[in-house]
Amino acid sequence: MPKLIKLVGEQAQWAENTFVNVTDEDAIPEAGDVILSLTRFQAEGDALLSSNSRRVGVRIEPAEEVEALAYDLPRLSVVALAFPKYRDGRAYTSAHLLRERFAYQGEVRAVGDVLQEQAGFMVRCGFDAFEPNDGATPEAWTKAANRFRHVYQRAVDARPIAADERAVQAKEGAL
Amino acid sequence: MKAVTANRLIDGEVVFWKEGAWVDGFGDAQLFDEAQGEAVEAAVAAGKAAPTVIVDPYPIDLVAVEGLGLAPVSYRERIRALGPTNELLHGKQAEGGAVVEAIRHASGAARSTGRVDLIRRK
Amino acid sequence: MYQYDVIDREFLTDRSNEFRHQVTRRLAGELTEDQFKPLRLMNGLYLQLHAYMLRVAIPYGSLNSRQARRLAWVARTYDKGYGHMTTRQNIQFNWIKLKDAPDILDALAEVDLHAIQTSGNCIRNTTADPYAGATAEEIDDPRVWSEVIRQWSTLHPEFSYLPRKFKIAITGALTDRAAVKVHDIGLILRRARDGSLGFEVIVGGGQGRTPYVGPTIKHHLPASSLLSYLEAVLRVYNRHGRRDNIYKARIKILVAALGAEEFGRQVEEEWAKIDQGRADLGDLELARIRGAFAQTPFETLPARSEVFEAAKAASPALARFARNNVKPHKKPGYAIVEVSLKAVGQTPGDATADQLDVVADLAERYGLDDLRVTHAQNLVLPHIKLDDLPAVHAILEANGLATANIDLISDIIACPGLDYCALANARAIPIAQDIAKTFADPDRAETIGELKIKISGCINACGHHHVAHIGILGVDKKGEEFYQLSLGGSGAEDASIGKILGPALPADKVAPAIDTLVDTYLSARQGEERFLDTYRRVGLEPFKEAVYAQAD
Repeated sequence: MPKLIKLVGEQAQWAENTFVNVTDEDAIPEAGDVILSLTRFQAEGDALLSSNSRRVGVRIEPAEEVEALAYDLPRLSVVALAFPKYRDGRAYTSAHLLRERFAYQGEVRAVGDVLQEQAGFMVRCGFDAFEPNDGATPEAWTKAANRFRHVYQRAVDARPIAADERAVQAKEGAL
Repeated sequence: MKAVTANRLIDGEVVFWKEGAWVDGFGDAQLFDEAQGEAVEAAVAAGKAAPTVIVDPYPIDLVAVEGLGLAPVSYRERIRALGPTNELLHGKQAEGGAVVEAIRHASGAARSTGRVDLIRRK
Repeated sequence: MYQYDVIDREFLTDRSNEFRHQVTRRLAGELTEDQFKPLRLMNGLYLQLHAYMLRVAIPYGSLNSRQARRLAWVARTYDKGYGHMTTRQNIQFNWIKLKDAPDILDALAEVDLHAIQTSGNCIRNTTADPYAGATAEEIDDPRVWSEVIRQWSTLHPEFSYLPRKFKIAITGALTDRAAVKVHDIGLILRRARDGSLGFEVIVGGGQGRTPYVGPTIKHHLPASSLLSYLEAVLRVYNRHGRRDNIYKARIKILVAALGAEEFGRQVEEEWAKIDQGRADLGDLELARIRGAFAQTPFETLPARSEVFEAAKAASPALARFARNNVKPHKKPGYAIVEVSLKAVGQTPGDATADQLDVVADLAERYGLDDLRVTHAQNLVLPHIKLDDLPAVHAILEANGLATANIDLISDIIACPGLDYCALANARAIPIAQDIAKTFADPDRAETIGELKIKISGCINACGHHHVAHIGILGVDKKGEEFYQLSLGGSGAEDASIGKILGPALPADKVAPAIDTLVDTYLSARQGEERFLDTYRRVGLEPFKEAVYAQAD
């Protein structure tokens, strides 16, 4: 099972990964938390969710649209967004939409080719859990995610942008 | 004839394989004849096994330049072995000498990519 | 000019440290070349034929003297004493070592320069009219909006791993000196009937393998909604742009596949869902940025300078320079001065470190400390007093910078080509040099008039050959360098894609073929027609016949 890093405030920490990633070929285990593909979820998710005995997550590939989950989101514990290659940036938009447009409160997890170079972008787009593929430690992840003292554009995180900082400075300067 | 070339990671310099090492000058490159295909492959493999030393090793075809020596077949590889043609004092050609002259006089059936194992450009 | 504040500066420091960390990890073997390559590219560092090449961003082509001097210093210290201006208003250094790159970025950051997003599949450096803030034609200053986009696009968390690179260009004037119709997004500042400021938004233009003049998808976007609308365009592209084939990944392919109307509809639909209050820049920040560009301290001067008129009458060289390189300024008594980097025999767009220093000195002493790079690979001193023109011209002349050929036949755009570039199929620079020598006679060049020749060493079209009056594309024909000519393209407000003339020619036949094309034009020309106008009137055939009849 891949190691899992979760964000707690601004700190990344090791976290226990209780979810089993079920591929479309696997049988769904008798018990325990599972992450299913979108297709599998659409076919079997209702039954799993109504059993109420375990948590369910869905794995979204880059070409799949998170809009397909709109109805079920409140019941999902995890949405795992896949990076088959780290240069495939569609999952950033998916994360953005989950948080901004659907106000999804559960875990948004980055899986696949996940490198610490992406940490800052991921956190800003609303990811809060990561399965790093480059052996990154939580320390390295925290450092990478907070490398920049300033940001220029509004994103999902609540960071004040450069324009906000300047507005504060202008106000203080005027006093 | 063939040689094996790459760029050095730390500075990007064009280098050539010579008996287990990477050297700067085309004139110092180890030459392989057609029967030495395995040795060429071994040199490329050695390059790929040293990713902190060089980037992207590959074999190039060479051609005889009448009375002057050998030169890479392709234009691209000749320019790599010499330097840019608009600045004749920049790059390896600045040193001058017989090797540079041979490459400058090479002509004929050039391929624009000198790669023997032609890698598709992405 | 926009001045970096402590926020911009700390940002650059952080970026520089990040890159140093990445280089260290690469050299230590902790990152593979495949992992490192996209990271170095996002800092403008390519591995080319002879060395690494560093592309430094010149946001909207605008520099001050201190920055120009620092570029000269980098050229001297880490390169071979020269730099190359690109068709995206950036500067490239050809002989960089990976181990020096972090130090160079530190040195550049000290003068508010960087190489962020000058390559990679992200939003690239925004380009703009090099006459911004100086031309009377201007509806609004495009630098204001370019700076807004610079900040918004810098390390954009959602749009840094797009299907392919993404280039935005802005003009505030009707004369298009920024090639906005052949960019991923082209923005033209316009006023609506009610006087409100807005943008005409053109999406999906481009060159490369499949050239398109971009369609307009919105005729009047309120200026204050720029960022939310860009977000909508980029989001539609990020989700739906092709990622299976690198040659079909640019937004132009998506726009062409969907049709401009459907693409525009999807953008509107996405835009309607965006919280504009959050996405768009507040009035305060916009006013701050606008203020930075509005403070140019012009003097009140008479429109006519007796000093200049007398000097022009006495010096044919100055008169020629004035005819070709001096352009009208919005303020009486000032002029825009183009500094050609296309002297006969020179590598198009190259400036030596000494030349950069000279131009920096001129900008500081005579030009309100403002200097521009054009997409035609020349420099501009945008604010020179007419009274100072004789002195400025004399200094330019003494340093090989007074070639009076702007937009003439020897003002050739050329990419670095196979002399430097790992992607090229053929050389571009020697072809440009041949043609410039063929048309070295300045009287003849002026007789020929405006004629834009552009040369690319491969189909990626960095040399803009598709939008040249005469375009030249280097191809590899059975191992030899051949050149395909095309006619009738334009990257300006009358944008069009050139048509291929006929079979490709060997290198030594290119300049003679251009000569034949020019003769054909001159004998067919009516009145004041430019080459492009004559071509558009008479079509390809007479030119084709002339060139290939001779070749037979």
